[in-house]
Amino acid sequence: MGGKLRRRAVITGAAGMLALPGKAPAAVGAKPLSGVTLNVSCWNAPYPQFLKKYIPEFEQETGARVVYTTPAFPIYNQRMDIALATHSDAYDVINVTFIYIGRWVGAGWMTPLDPFIANPKLTPADWNPKDFLPGIEAAFRDSKGELCAVPWIADIMMSGASRYDLIHGAGLTMPDTFDEMHKMLAAVSHKDGLPGFVVENHYGWTFLGYLQGFGANVFRAPPHDLMPVLDSPEAVQAAEFFATIMRDYGPRGALSYTYDQVTAALKAAKVIYSTENEAFVTQMAQKGAPAAPTCGFSLFPKGPAGRFPQIATHGWGIPAGSRKKDAAWQFIAWAMSEKLLLRMFREQGWSSVTRRSIIDLPEFHAKLNYNGFDVAKIYLETLNLADKGYMAYRTVPAYPQIDRQINIALQSVISGEKKAAQAMKDAQHNSLEALRRAGVKL
Amino acid sequence: MPRRGSRAGRRHGAEWAATALLLVVLAPALWLLQMSFRTEASINGGVFVATLANYTSLAGSGFPASFANSVVASTTATALALLLGVPAAYALSRGGMRRRGTIAMWVLVTRMAPPIAFTVPFFLAFSWLGLIDTVSGLVVVYLTFDLAMVIWTMRSFFAAIPHSLEEAAWIDGAGVWGAFLRVVLPLSVPGLAATGILCFIMSWNDFFFALILTRTNAMTAPVAIVNFMQYAGWEWGKIAAAGVLVLLPVLAFTLLTRRYLVRGLTAGGVKE
Repeated sequence: MGGKLRRRAVITGAAGMLALPGKAPAAVGAKPLSGVTLNVSCWNAPYPQFLKKYIPEFEQETGARVVYTTPAFPIYNQRMDIALATHSDAYDVINVTFIYIGRWVGAGWMTPLDPFIANPKLTPADWNPKDFLPGIEAAFRDSKGELCAVPWIADIMMSGASRYDLIHGAGLTMPDTFDEMHKMLAAVSHKDGLPGFVVENHYGWTFLGYLQGFGANVFRAPPHDLMPVLDSPEAVQAAEFFATIMRDYGPRGALSYTYDQVTAALKAAKVIYSTENEAFVTQMAQKGAPAAPTCGFSLFPKGPAGRFPQIATHGWGIPAGSRKKDAAWQFIAWAMSEKLLLRMFREQGWSSVTRRSIIDLPEFHAKLNYNGFDVAKIYLETLNLADKGYMAYRTVPAYPQIDRQINIALQSVISGEKKAAQAMKDAQHNSLEALRRAGVKL
Repeated sequence: MPRRGSRAGRRHGAEWAATALLLVVLAPALWLLQMSFRTEASINGGVFVATLANYTSLAGSGFPASFANSVVASTTATALALLLGVPAAYALSRGGMRRRGTIAMWVLVTRMAPPIAFTVPFFLAFSWLGLIDTVSGLVVVYLTFDLAMVIWTMRSFFAAIPHSLEEAAWIDGAGVWGAFLRVVLPLSVPGLAATGILCFIMSWNDFFFALILTRTNAMTAPVAIVNFMQYAGWEWGKIAAAGVLVLLPVLAFTLLTRRYLVRGLTAGGVKE
């Protein structure tokens, strides 16, 4: 009380020269969240934009007022990092960004959600938490195994060809293995002047499926044994393979391609094939895209050690600093209810869903069928692979430092500046240094 | 004759070199301009197809509101910085205080560390005061660094104006502030223009504080531009069109006051 009076006095006194917006007194009503204002934020992606249209229904139903912001990805992450680090109560519901899971969840900045899920007063009986694919949900569990966010998207890595007609014309199909991929790229690249292959220059992400496919990994046994193993013979082999296909079949300036440039090149059918996020490659099938009539899709190819498509996931969570946690959970429970997600799929075409019951629907498979390629099947098979737990490296708080070393190593191999063995040896050495600086016990 | 020819040749050479240098300097802005008129299909290269679609699409987005926020925050901060900073600079230049050098150094302290060092204190204070996502909050932040700029710049301008002019005004019956307002200030107009432009540009171009301290209501144009970098693809056309629009106020302001600006930037450098 005293704090509030003091704050008001400071504002009144200091802001005499500037008009400050005031708050209307909360209306008292019969609805469960009348008078509650929830600050909700997520980076700008199709799902939060779809969700925006339904928020008035939540407000109408509960009486809550939702202040909903969806800034761009870099802006969102910067703002949240500061808000969470300062234990601010500025937000009540936020997106837990995939690349920050280790940092935000690992530091205890997010609220464990299991008690809310178990509370029948806050969670409807038919909410069915087991419907969420466990492989995706696992990324949001803290060291005690408690769930800190409910996943709203699983963006899988898969193969996409903008000119499947060229592949088919060469007597081949979408490649299922690294060897088939190499053979296909050799057959179709630079025919019609088109480069065969490109991925975004974030190799700490796009290379990892190849690294693991050759039997290597980033750490020895994450998340418990964080000894880097980037200089293993398998890792060197993976780097050589990846650099070869980028160098021999990539476009000019392949090293500079960001994700939006890869997406634009694929949509315009200016590069034949890529292994990228579903959110990017499926844009080839959009109405009006030059690649739409000729695009094809398949699972991320497998290497000698198996298939390791990378999976990015984002989820709704409650910051530890929020003072309206019960209301915040009610928003999450509503936003991630099967009923609403099904409506979003049917009414707005939201397809990267995380609930198994929706993925299994025949209408879901029918909608994600492009030129005869069942993307829904690819999606489900990829998500099932995540159960193996190979994405555990991504939840290590110090992974961003290692990510940087992988980027540097791959750039130097692709550009020919270093041999793969030397580049990976340097990456290993620098990763060890980075982990020691971060205080990781090895 | 040959000497005149070689002199003319040197002059032409210098003109060509100046033109080439100008083109190099202007190249990014010109590139931005042509990109803002390209269609989405031709934005990454190919045949130039002119369109106004990028500008018209901005009208339907939240960009106009962000642009207005930028205008209000920058002009208010600049006006307040001049209003408060110019008398302060005059006092520090002419006043008889013993520790005026120390005071001037303390004024500069906000410019002695990178902005990120002040981020957490500002964020916590603004959260507590309820100033997050308000234009008035941005004005306060911009004032902190604009004031230092005004005080230090205007102090050197006032130092270059001979004391004898004020003394003459005093003899004619003017008080200290009368002499300041009627004699010193009119002589400082070039300095005021230059300082005002610099303050405006600093506030106008701020990205970092606006990024951290705003959400939607007070978002400024530089942050709104970055918001066009979507996960599913960057909206290059909108980024370019918004970039061109952001250039315009500074360009107009600078052109309007360039007569004063050149004099202002060169004056005050030499004491008489």
